[in-house]
Amino acid sequence: MADRTAIIIAEPASIPYFPGCTLKSHAPHFERSALASAGAVGLELVEMPRWVCCGTVYSMATDDLMHQVAPVRNLARVQAAGSERVVTLCSMCYGTLKQAAALIEREPAKLETINAFLTRDAGEPALEGRVRVMHLLELLAEEPRARALQEAVVRPLTGLRVAPYYGCTLVRPAEASLAGAGENPGLLEEVLAALGAEVVPNPYATECCGSYHTATNPEIVARRAHAIIEGARAQGAEVLAVSCPLCDFNLDRRQAEVRRLYPHFRPMPILYFTELIALALGLEAPAAEGRLVDPRPLLARLALVGAAA
Amino acid sequence: MKRVGVFVCHCGKNIARTVDVERVAKELGAHPGVAFSQTYVYMCSEPGQALIREKIAEQKLEAVVIAACSPTLHAMTFGRAVEKAGLNRYLMDMANIREHCSWVHADDSAKATAKAAALVKSAVSKLQQGRPLTPIRVPLTRRAVVIGGGIAGIQAALDIANGGHEVYLIEKSPTIGGHMAQLSETFPTLDCSSCILTPKMVEVKQHPNIHLLTYSEVKEVSGAIGNFHVTIERKPRYVLENLCTGCGDCVPVCPVVVHNEFEAGMGSRKAVYIPFPQAVPSVYTLDMDACYNTDKLVVCENCYKACGPKAINYLMEPEIIEIEAGAIVLATGYDLMPIAKIDEYGADAYEDVIDSLQFERMLSASGPTGGVVRRPSDGKIPKEVVFIQCSGSRDPAHGVPYCSRVCCMYTAKHALLYRHSVPGSQAYVFYIDIRSDGKGYEEFVQRAIEDEKILYLRGKVSKVFREGDKLIVWGADTLSGQQVEVAADLVVLAMAIVPNEATKALARKLKVTTDEWGFLSEAHPKLRPVETMTAGVYLAGAAQAPRDIPDTVAQASGTASKVLSLFANEELLHDPQVASVNSELCRGCGYCLAVCAYSAISLEERLVRGHRMQVATVNAALCNGCGTCAATCLSGAIDHLGFTDKQILAQIEQLGEGA
Amino acid sequence: MSGAEHRQPQGAHVAHGAHDAAEWTPNIVAFLCNWCSYAGADLAGTRRLQYPPHVKVIKVMCSGRINPLFVLNALQQGADGVLISGCHPGDCHYQQGNYIARRRITLLRRLLEHIGVDPRRVQMSWVSAAEGQKFAQVIREVTEDIRQVGPMGQFRRAR
Repeated sequence: MADRTAIIIAEPASIPYFPGCTLKSHAPHFERSALASAGAVGLELVEMPRWVCCGTVYSMATDDLMHQVAPVRNLARVQAAGSERVVTLCSMCYGTLKQAAALIEREPAKLETINAFLTRDAGEPALEGRVRVMHLLELLAEEPRARALQEAVVRPLTGLRVAPYYGCTLVRPAEASLAGAGENPGLLEEVLAALGAEVVPNPYATECCGSYHTATNPEIVARRAHAIIEGARAQGAEVLAVSCPLCDFNLDRRQAEVRRLYPHFRPMPILYFTELIALALGLEAPAAEGRLVDPRPLLARLALVGAAA
Repeated sequence: MKRVGVFVCHCGKNIARTVDVERVAKELGAHPGVAFSQTYVYMCSEPGQALIREKIAEQKLEAVVIAACSPTLHAMTFGRAVEKAGLNRYLMDMANIREHCSWVHADDSAKATAKAAALVKSAVSKLQQGRPLTPIRVPLTRRAVVIGGGIAGIQAALDIANGGHEVYLIEKSPTIGGHMAQLSETFPTLDCSSCILTPKMVEVKQHPNIHLLTYSEVKEVSGAIGNFHVTIERKPRYVLENLCTGCGDCVPVCPVVVHNEFEAGMGSRKAVYIPFPQAVPSVYTLDMDACYNTDKLVVCENCYKACGPKAINYLMEPEIIEIEAGAIVLATGYDLMPIAKIDEYGADAYEDVIDSLQFERMLSASGPTGGVVRRPSDGKIPKEVVFIQCSGSRDPAHGVPYCSRVCCMYTAKHALLYRHSVPGSQAYVFYIDIRSDGKGYEEFVQRAIEDEKILYLRGKVSKVFREGDKLIVWGADTLSGQQVEVAADLVVLAMAIVPNEATKALARKLKVTTDEWGFLSEAHPKLRPVETMTAGVYLAGAAQAPRDIPDTVAQASGTASKVLSLFANEELLHDPQVASVNSELCRGCGYCLAVCAYSAISLEERLVRGHRMQVATVNAALCNGCGTCAATCLSGAIDHLGFTDKQILAQIEQLGEGA
Repeated sequence: MSGAEHRQPQGAHVAHGAHDAAEWTPNIVAFLCNWCSYAGADLAGTRRLQYPPHVKVIKVMCSGRINPLFVLNALQQGADGVLISGCHPGDCHYQQGNYIARRRITLLRRLLEHIGVDPRRVQMSWVSAAEGQKFAQVIREVTEDIRQVGPMGQFRRAR
C-alpha cells in the first residue's frame, strides 16, 4: 500500500505542473478536468514555464546519458522557477521524470556531467539538489486535500461500479512508482471511493494495455484491451477509470479492433479519473467527443448526469 | 642494550634481485646493539631455522630480527624457531623487505636497499625497547551453552555431551525440534521427519550431560572465551514440569482457541497446549497472553480443575538462571519470508496462496487436515496445484538476492507427495533453475518430473489473483517461449529462507556480526565456517546460511568438534599483546573505558601511594589488543604490550633518518 | 582521486625555507593497521605493483593505536609526511578503532594548520586487505603531495 508518511508541513497551495506533449494534443479533457478538480480542493496547478518534451519513458530503455538531459532540463527549470516539486498527469512523463531523478540521485557523477552540458554548452541553469516528481493522485491522497476532496463532493457517484486502472508505467519500476508503493498503490481506489463510487477490485489494474504496439501491431493491443476490460467486467465493473492518454486510446478507441476479433464483445466506457472527480464535484460532465464509447448513457441511467441528483 | 641478531633473507632471487642483501647485512652489523648479522638464501627453510637457533646459542642473542617476507606468512614459524632456542618469541620481529620493498621497487635497487636497511634498523629499535611476554593463562570452564533447539542445536548438544562435557540447551519455544519437527517427510528418502528426529530429541532429554531449558531465552552474555557468563530467563509455563504427566485433560475444557504456531497458522490450539504430541519435554504450557487470566486476576480455572496431578499454577514467575560456560553455540535457525512481501502474489490476501511450511503441515498425518491436502478457503481437495519456486529468493527487487538452497528439493517432494495423495491431480512447478546437488537429489527430481508427470515450467510467475473460486496464475514457459496461464485451486510459494527474528538481537548481545541479510557471519567464508570472529562463539545450521538437514547435521558436528578441541586444552592461553596499566600514573579519568569496544577495562578502587583511587584495570582475557586505549590516555598510564609507546617512538626516530 | 581522506588542500602554509626539488626526496612514515592496510600493502607487493620507495611502514594492530603525538614526533624526527591507513569505516577488526583514529587525525590536521604546518603532511586513508591497487595508488599520491609541499623544516628536533 502507498506510504503516506511524508506529510509536508507548510506546503504551498500552488505547485508547478508539467503537462507533457500528449496532454496538450490528444487529451485536453484530461487536463481540463484535472486542473478544475485540483482547483476545487485548494490546489493550484500552474503550468511551469518553458517545459520541454520529457523524452517519454521509451527513451529510458537505452543506457545513454543524453536521453536523461531532457528530463533533467525540465527539473532544473522547475527549480529555477523556485519550486522543489513538480506535478504531472501523464504516466509516461511521471515515469520519465521520476526515473531520471532517481538516477541522478543514485549516481551524482552523472548529474555533474549533465549539469556541465547544460551550463557550458546550452547556457542553462544546472540542477542542484532534489526536485520531487509527483503525480496528481499522490497530491490528492495527502491531507488536507484528501479531506477537501471528500467534502467537495456534491454529486456522489452512487451506484457507479468503477474499476481502477493504473496501467503499467505508474507502478514500474518500483523506484519510480506512485508513492514508491510498487504493485499496489491503492491511491486511485481511495480517490474513487471518496467520490462515493463503488470501487470494484481489479486484478488487471496494473497490466499493460499494449502501449506503443498500438502503432505497429494493433492486434496485440486489441487482445490486451479485451482481457483487461473483460477481466474488470467479470469483477462487476461498468466503467474503467484510467490515468494515461495512451491507455485511454488503447482501451477506448481500440475497442473497434476488439469488436472485430471478438464479435460478442460489448463496449465499456473508459473515463479519466479526473473526469469522474469533476463530475462528482459538479464542475463538468464527461463529453462524448474525443472518444469511441459514449459514457453518457451509463451516467444517465445512474442519474449522474442531467439535473443534480 | 640487548644483543640483537639480524638475519637477512635472500628469498632466492625475490629479495636479492633488487635489494643488496649483503650490503644490508653489513650495514646492520655495524649498527649499535647488533651483535650478529648475516644473510641466508631461505630463512624459512629447515637449515635457515637451524641457523637461527645455532646463532642464538652461539652469539648469546637476546633478540632476533628476520628481514624477509611479510610476517603474515612466517611469524609463527620463526616464533617457534626462536622459542626452541630458548628465546621469548616476542623478542623476535620481522622486517618486511619483500612485499613492502623488493617486490615494489624493482627498478630502483639503490633506494630499495636503503629502504630495506632502514626497515631492519627500525625493527631492531623496536626490539631494543621490547620485553619478553608470556601468554596469559585464562580459566577455562568446560561447559557449553547451545542456543536454539532445532536439529542443528540438538546435534551439536549431543556431540558435545557425548564428548563428556556438560551442555545447556536453550530453546525459546516450549519444545525442541525446530522446523524439522513440522516437516512431514524429508527429501530425498521420504523418511518421516518426526521418526528420525524424535529419537534425537529423546536422547537430548535423557542425556545425563544435557540440561534442557525450553520456553527459555538468553537475556545477557558477558565475558570471553573460556569464561562466559550467561543469564537465562525461564519463562513461566504456569505448568509444573515435574508434575505434568502429559495426559492432556486440560485441553478440552479450555475455552480459548488461538492460532497454533506449530501448524504455521493452518490450525488452532487452546491457550493450554502442547505444540505436538511428541514434544520434548512432554509437558503442557499455558500461553498466558491467550488465556483469559492475567498474572493478577484469575477468572477461569477450568484447566486447573481438570488437572489430576494439580500441575497448573497461575502464579508462576519467570526464573533467572546464571550459567558459567566456556563456549557458546548459536543455532537459532531460520524463518520463511512472509507472503505479504510479494504484492504480485496477493500479499497474503488470498487464503489459497500458502507457503511451503503451511503445505508441509497439510501433508503431515498429524497436521491440521489429517494429512489431506485441502484448500484453506473451502476445505475442498484441490485438483490443480501450482508450486512457485524462488518466491522472494534470487529476487533483489522484492526480496533477497541469494538462493535459499532447499526449495528446489522440497518443492519436488511436495509435488510428488501431492500427486500421490490426489489421484487425477495436476501439479505445476514454475522454476528458474533446479538446484539438486546433494546425494540422490538429482535422481529424486527426475523421478518427480518423469514418474509423477509433474509439469515443470521454466519461468517466473508474474501474477497470482483470484477469479471466482480459482486462482489465476500467469507465468511463462521460457523453453518453449510461451506465456502460460493456469487456473489453479491452490498455489504454494517456496518463500525465501531468512534468519530467525531472534537472531539479530542475540547477535548484538554477543557482539557477533551478521551479514546484510541478518545471517550470522562466520570467521572466514572458506576456511572457518563454524566459528565467529568472537572467540568462543560458534555457529551451526541455518542461522548462518540456508542449508538442508544433512549439511546442518554435518556442520553441527563440526561445530561440536571445535568446542571439544577447545575443551581439550589443558589451559587456555591468551595473546599477551594486551593493554597494561601503570597504576602509578593512572588518574582514573575513565577515557580508556569509553573507547574500549570489548568492555575489557573497568575502574577499580586501589590504594596508590597511600591514596584510595579509582584506577583503570584491564581484564586481559577480554582485551583484544587494538591499542586504542593506549592512544587515548592523557596520562600515558595505559600502554599496549608489544606495541608500546617507547617501541613506536623508537621506530619513528629510526625511520626519521633521511630517505 | 582514491577514497583517501583529507586530500583537498585547505589554504596550506608552505614550509619555511627554499627547497631544491631536484635533489631532495620526501621521507614519509606510514602507520598501517595489521588487519587491513598492512595486508593491502602485502597484496600490492604480491601483485608486483610498483610505487615510489619513500614510504616506510610501522605496523600497528589498529589505526586507533595512533596517538597524535606519534604523528607530531614523526614530523619532528625527520619525516616530511605521515600516512595513517586503516580499515574502511564499518570494517574495523576491533569494531570502532578506525572511527576514533579518523576523529583524532581530523582534529590534528586542524591544529597543524593553526600552527602553520601544511596539513597535507598528515593524511589518512582506508585500504582493505583486498585493495592492493588502491594501496599503491595511495602511496603514489601521498608521495607526490609531500613532494609538492616540500621538506619539513619546522620544529625539527636536534639530533
